[in-house]
Amino acid sequence: MKPTAPLRRACARTLLAAGLATSLALMTGCAKSEDDSGGDRGASQGKDAGQVVASPSGGTGPSCAIDAYGGEKRDLKSATVGFSQSEKEANPFRIAETASIKAEAQQRGVKLLTANAQSQFSKQISDVQDLIAKGADLLVIAPLNSDGWEPVLRAASAKHIPIVTVDRKINAAACKDYVSFIGSDFVEQGRRAADRMIGATGGKGEIAVLLGAAGNNVTTERTKGFEDRIKEKAPGLKIVFRQTTEFSREKGQSVTENLIQSRPGIKGIYAENDEMGLGAVNALKSAGKKPGAVKIVTIDGTRNAVQGIVDGWISGVIESNPRFGPLAFQTLDSFARGEKVAQDIVIQDSSYTKDNAESDLGKAY
Amino acid sequence: MTTDTGEATMRTETPAARAGDEPPGASRSERLSALAQQHGALVTLVIAVIVASLGFDTFLTGDNLKNMALSSAFLAVVALGMTFVVVTGGIDLSVGSLFALGGVLAAWGSQYGTAVALLLPLAVCGLVGLLNGLLIARSGLAPFIVTLAAMLGARGVLLALTDEGSRTYLVDKDTFFAGLGQDSLLGVGVPVWITLVLFVLGAVVLRRTRFGQYVYAVGGNEDAAALMGAPVARTKVAVYTLSALCAGLAGALNAAWLLSGVTILGSGMELEAISAVVIGGTLLTGGFGFISGSLVGVALLKVIQNVINQIGSLDSAYQQVVSGAFLAVVVVAQTWLGRRRRVL
Repeated sequence: MKPTAPLRRACARTLLAAGLATSLALMTGCAKSEDDSGGDRGASQGKDAGQVVASPSGGTGPSCAIDAYGGEKRDLKSATVGFSQSEKEANPFRIAETASIKAEAQQRGVKLLTANAQSQFSKQISDVQDLIAKGADLLVIAPLNSDGWEPVLRAASAKHIPIVTVDRKINAAACKDYVSFIGSDFVEQGRRAADRMIGATGGKGEIAVLLGAAGNNVTTERTKGFEDRIKEKAPGLKIVFRQTTEFSREKGQSVTENLIQSRPGIKGIYAENDEMGLGAVNALKSAGKKPGAVKIVTIDGTRNAVQGIVDGWISGVIESNPRFGPLAFQTLDSFARGEKVAQDIVIQDSSYTKDNAESDLGKAY
Repeated sequence: MTTDTGEATMRTETPAARAGDEPPGASRSERLSALAQQHGALVTLVIAVIVASLGFDTFLTGDNLKNMALSSAFLAVVALGMTFVVVTGGIDLSVGSLFALGGVLAAWGSQYGTAVALLLPLAVCGLVGLLNGLLIARSGLAPFIVTLAAMLGARGVLLALTDEGSRTYLVDKDTFFAGLGQDSLLGVGVPVWITLVLFVLGAVVLRRTRFGQYVYAVGGNEDAAALMGAPVARTKVAVYTLSALCAGLAGALNAAWLLSGVTILGSGMELEAISAVVIGGTLLTGGFGFISGSLVGVALLKVIQNVINQIGSLDSAYQQVVSGAFLAVVVVAQTWLGRRRRVL
């Protein structure tokens, strides 16, 4: 065999193979994105849409000041803030959350660096390290997972970089490893969803739970609040089906398709976020069910879900407000100036039912 | 199914003709081409680093480089094992799940000491790799399907061990095992040193041992390799086991670094590892490849990711576009360099 012929082939093969690898890499990125039929969501921040702290005036919870955390006081205006987002801005919650952080940074004239982990936890760890290396003085992190933050916390504490986590918690010591957590009371969200489910179903029958992604406090707490309240208030409601659909609409749809095959008598579905709930609606629609035949209760308050109430498919939506910008920067600002800030900043969430869905549709994101 | 009966020891040199191993008697152009294939990736990496350090003054800093080295060490170990598999013309999709499973097992095992924390993931992942290899080599099933099944199965085992992924086992900070991920030697993290040692070992095994020659031979032409007496089936079993062991070890080290067995790791990691191997100049069709190239491939992927973060204001959608485009440019540049060198 002449040596050149296989070599040329080899070369062509590399190109082919490499092209394949590239398209694979691109595909994994694209496959997860989804259509977003909403209008100007997220970017537009209604006056009444910002977050409100549930227990104002500092509350009684533990607080944190810069002397205890370490580091020097500074003016936020001259600082660089790094924001690490966990999932790509493909669902309304993340879109609204990132937009809110960006808008607030711009309004305050603070330099903002952003990174997006695209749902890859390893990437989020190196993202935050990159932000620190790039010169972030303060960090806002939307954690993908609650555990596994050791490398980041070490790097941040070596440089006394204050960390505020939003929407999910980091399992670490507040005021030592991080300053504050800002987010909803997820157990309470679960309880309120249970109340709505009890109201919608009359407290009897079989119901299903579409669980969120594993490994973070949001899923565990929304599950706990819901199940405890059902047990306590409506023993006639039996949770007969429980499966993770990872906060995604596609998975919510395919799992619900299986569910209505295996349990045709199901009376209600509790989806731990709107996207999974909307997936369930799609599955019910294609199975020929009528609106309201299966009661769906979801959490988040996205525009599509609230529209679902108006259309009669969804019985109730408990809000989880994603507009963290103002509160996150206010917390960082106060902290950097030397004031005390609460370690747990719990925000107040409203809810949507048949009564207010139409009038409050504009407040949804 | 595969004919591996003729396992008579091979006294003669095995056909490492396309191994880029300067085999005696290879023509000059062949050597040059092999060199270019290998160094194409390296040259691209150097160019990317130069461009990045000119564009961003925070790129070429000690901290940034150390972070990049440490956080890419784990992918590098996975890519090391993958290189062997790809050189035989196979593919291993199970490594991402095994990486996560290895981490969970290591974190759980760490309460019983370092030996358990390391050996448990190696044993379990090695067993999965062995099964992969046996199914592929003995039953003639397609590697893609077999390892896809292993990927799903291993993820299922992980979920079963962790209450659907909701329980995370933690690693005690003051153990020797934690030190494997946490400590530094000469300012560089221990995982980086472990990775470098493994790559040197891997390169020696692939280039300088009979087993390495079998790997190339099987990937070059399976039937010819069998006719010449290479143990085809055994070689395949070995590479899939090796790949799984690498994934398990990388997972264990990662758990020591994160101090916890994070359950959501590893999805998509198999594609990253394959990309790194291919960028490094190894042919997906087998028979040709370099261990060092895979390390360069991992480094390139890392640099791309870092540059995107250096820009610091891209939306996630554009990040993906930039990352995909960058990857395409890198691969085209590398192939072009390879071809150009050969023409010269």
